[in-house]
Amino acid sequence: MTLRNAVVMTLAAGIVLAAAPWALSAFALSLLLTCLMYAGLTVSWAMFSGATNYLSLATAAFFGIGAYVTAWGLATLPYAVVVPLGGLAAAAFAALIGAAILHLRGAYFAVLTFGLGELVRHAITYSEKSYAHTVGRVLTDVPEAPTVYLTVLFLAAAAIVTCLAVRASRFGLALAGIGADEERAQTLGVNTRRTKIAGFALSAFFAGALGAAMAVRWTYIEPNSVFNPFIGFQTVLIAMVGGAHTVIGPLASSIVFSLLTEFLRLQFPYLFLILLGLLLIVLVLYLPGGIASLWPIARARIGALGARLAKLESGGARG
Amino acid sequence: MGFWLELVASGLITGGIYAVVAIGLNLQYGLMRIMNISHGEFLMLGAYFTWLAHTVLKVNPLVFLPVVAVALFLIGLGVYRLCFRRISRTSPSVEIIEARSLLVSFGLMFLVQNAAYLAWGADLRGYSFLDEPVEIAGARFTANRLVVLGFAVAASLALLAVLRFTLVGKAVRAMMQSPTGAQLVGIDTAVLHPTVFGVGLALAGVAGALLSMVYEISPAMGEPYTVTALIVITLGGLGSTLGALLGGFLLGVVEAFGMHFTSPSLKMLLSYGVFILVLLARPKGLFAR
Repeated sequence: MTLRNAVVMTLAAGIVLAAAPWALSAFALSLLLTCLMYAGLTVSWAMFSGATNYLSLATAAFFGIGAYVTAWGLATLPYAVVVPLGGLAAAAFAALIGAAILHLRGAYFAVLTFGLGELVRHAITYSEKSYAHTVGRVLTDVPEAPTVYLTVLFLAAAAIVTCLAVRASRFGLALAGIGADEERAQTLGVNTRRTKIAGFALSAFFAGALGAAMAVRWTYIEPNSVFNPFIGFQTVLIAMVGGAHTVIGPLASSIVFSLLTEFLRLQFPYLFLILLGLLLIVLVLYLPGGIASLWPIARARIGALGARLAKLESGGARG
Repeated sequence: MGFWLELVASGLITGGIYAVVAIGLNLQYGLMRIMNISHGEFLMLGAYFTWLAHTVLKVNPLVFLPVVAVALFLIGLGVYRLCFRRISRTSPSVEIIEARSLLVSFGLMFLVQNAAYLAWGADLRGYSFLDEPVEIAGARFTANRLVVLGFAVAASLALLAVLRFTLVGKAVRAMMQSPTGAQLVGIDTAVLHPTVFGVGLALAGVAGALLSMVYEISPAMGEPYTVTALIVITLGGLGSTLGALLGGFLLGVVEAFGMHFTSPSLKMLLSYGVFILVLLARPKGLFAR
């Protein structure tokens, strides 16, 4: 599939889904909203971490920063300004942190980003307590559900199109080169430092904007709910299950997972997380490339089967 | 005088626990490149086992300490066999071992933590043990805290001695320096890896058992200790046991002083601040030459 076809298909799907607020019930709409949120989060995560193999666990931090931009800004600014602002704040934070820690490889990077969410959460809790004298913030005057839905839909579609465009570009090749062999990429003239920071910030932009857009769904915002490590964990899990090197893999698995989450998490919260943990372990051990890695194998099998059938037929005709 | 002694001592007591947790994690990472982010969950298991033994069977927690160690060691063997053996066998490079073991232990973290929630609920649990105050040189401590410090130091030093003076310890150190070279001289990975992994978890369990004598316990208690242990390892240098011991005490004291002079809610910020500074200034650890 060429880049153009993929973009056209994404946009077409986006236009069809845009009719949902008028066609679906409130419950189905909220389900779809969760799907779209995870689709956006996962695809933008895979854009950086899937390509470069820098395992970022900071999604929860970016998401929370975006949500807090909404909490602080919604009283004075319109929703349409707050959402990109949340994205920009997360991107700026990612660029700053990236400049400091992106020279660390492997586990160090993962662990540091894992801690970032906690760090930001504690910092915000502390500053809210000592300067604003509150624990959480109540959002009044929130936009209507269709507005939120369309915003998240737009962000998810934008994340997918951006990811497709990046993968086809020089910048995307540079990111993939860093993932394959960073020193070689550097020798071949890639400015690895700048590329990594830009990629990290770009993927953080979408996480932040989604956080800012979704924040109005909770009318009460407090650090413990918006810096929920579960959001970061779920994002990584979905991308790994789908296959972080592709676009379609994370997209498909985000739909399955958000449906599962909605139905199981409220009824069996602990058992559900136990199952998710188990699933992650089994997948990493036995299918490290994700579900998308099964596709080439399946295609090769079907191809081989077709060839054998053709051979049988031609053999039969001769005999 | 008494006040300063109390501050330093409370830092050392927390630091002692940090050291025990970090040494276990450091062994796993240094020897097998397993970035075990679920390490703290096994600390939590150790704490719950001790709490159960004390409240249900009325066993003295100190007597129960070896039982916890053995139980966690066996759990460690099982976890290694089921999860990490396959990773180290099938991964093409060290970096991939690190990434995959991180993800697997992430899964383990969710599994163990939520299993604990399911089994024991989210309430804080605790029991009182040796909580009468003791006065030393004008400073007042509860007796259990001194016991905790003593056992933490003893466990760390014992492990240090095993690594330095015994043949097994020599094999572990050889394996850390050069895995291929160690295998060439006949050190068996298939025995050493599971054993060391188990010892790591046993140390985490001991730390948890010690903690349960002083603090209240909950299923979420392990996670902060994992993060702190990672910070301590960075301070002390990867693979260095003595470094982890000194780093643990150092971080404990820094936290105690920082919390006293600023505010207790800044504790995490302080640790991370130290972590990031050390990573930027001395990525190989404070004590690296």
